[in-house]
Amino acid sequence: MPEDVLRRAGDASVLILTSLADGPKHGYALIQDIKEFAGLQLGPGTLYGALDRLERLGLAEALPTDERRHPYQITAAGAAALRAHLDSLERVSAVGRLRLRLGGI
Amino acid sequence: MPGLAPARVVSLALRCYPRRWRRRHGAEAAELAALLIADGVPARSVACSYLCAAARERVTPQPGHRLAAAAAALLIAAGSLGVPLGLLSASAPASAASATHAHPTSPGARPQCAGPRARPVLAWPALAHQRTASPWAWPAHPYRADGHGEHC
Repeated sequence: MPEDVLRRAGDASVLILTSLADGPKHGYALIQDIKEFAGLQLGPGTLYGALDRLERLGLAEALPTDERRHPYQITAAGAAALRAHLDSLERVSAVGRLRLRLGGI
Repeated sequence: MPGLAPARVVSLALRCYPRRWRRRHGAEAAELAALLIADGVPARSVACSYLCAAARERVTPQPGHRLAAAAAALLIAAGSLGVPLGLLSASAPASAASATHAHPTSPGARPQCAGPRARPVLAWPALAHQRTASPWAWPAHPYRADGHGEHC
């Protein structure tokens, strides 16, 4: 089982990597996309904090500046980390659903 | 923050970030804030988000600064325990340890230390209740008046 490095990176990091999974985006596009698929409005401070963390971990990288905006893209390590994290979530989800069913709740 | 223009509020919040962060993200962050405010997000909420993140950015040690942060934390911890800076030198702990195993057969060297009262006082538990008003001051010790106190 690959190590889930995103477990401690925070929800914002997972949301950002999920958003970047279909192509590079800059800050505003990331916030809009995350709002659309997760129903969550990320604060701009939270966004830049998570992007810095992801860059330090080598999971995302900034592309050359487009006017004043930096588009960000997911790296190969980021894609692997996201896949491992989603697998882990799926396992937890399956166990949770099974136990709820067994418990008759 | 009533009375301040939204752009000014955000600009003030962005100034709370470290300089290296502003160089990297400053212009982009200001533009993102303008777009969010134009979308109807309250300027106050955007500014609060930047303020909280700036505080986190300042308290989170950077990779290159970890050693300095660890050294500072060690010094603060030592200070709060009331350890004098002299104890941090190499010779003081050695002489303190030697007092524990001192031979009673050499009373000439430490005449005032003989007898049951000659036990060492440098044990850590003893420091906690002998601490004086200043955390940096060493507690007064009766055996030190003769100049042989270091060995007691």
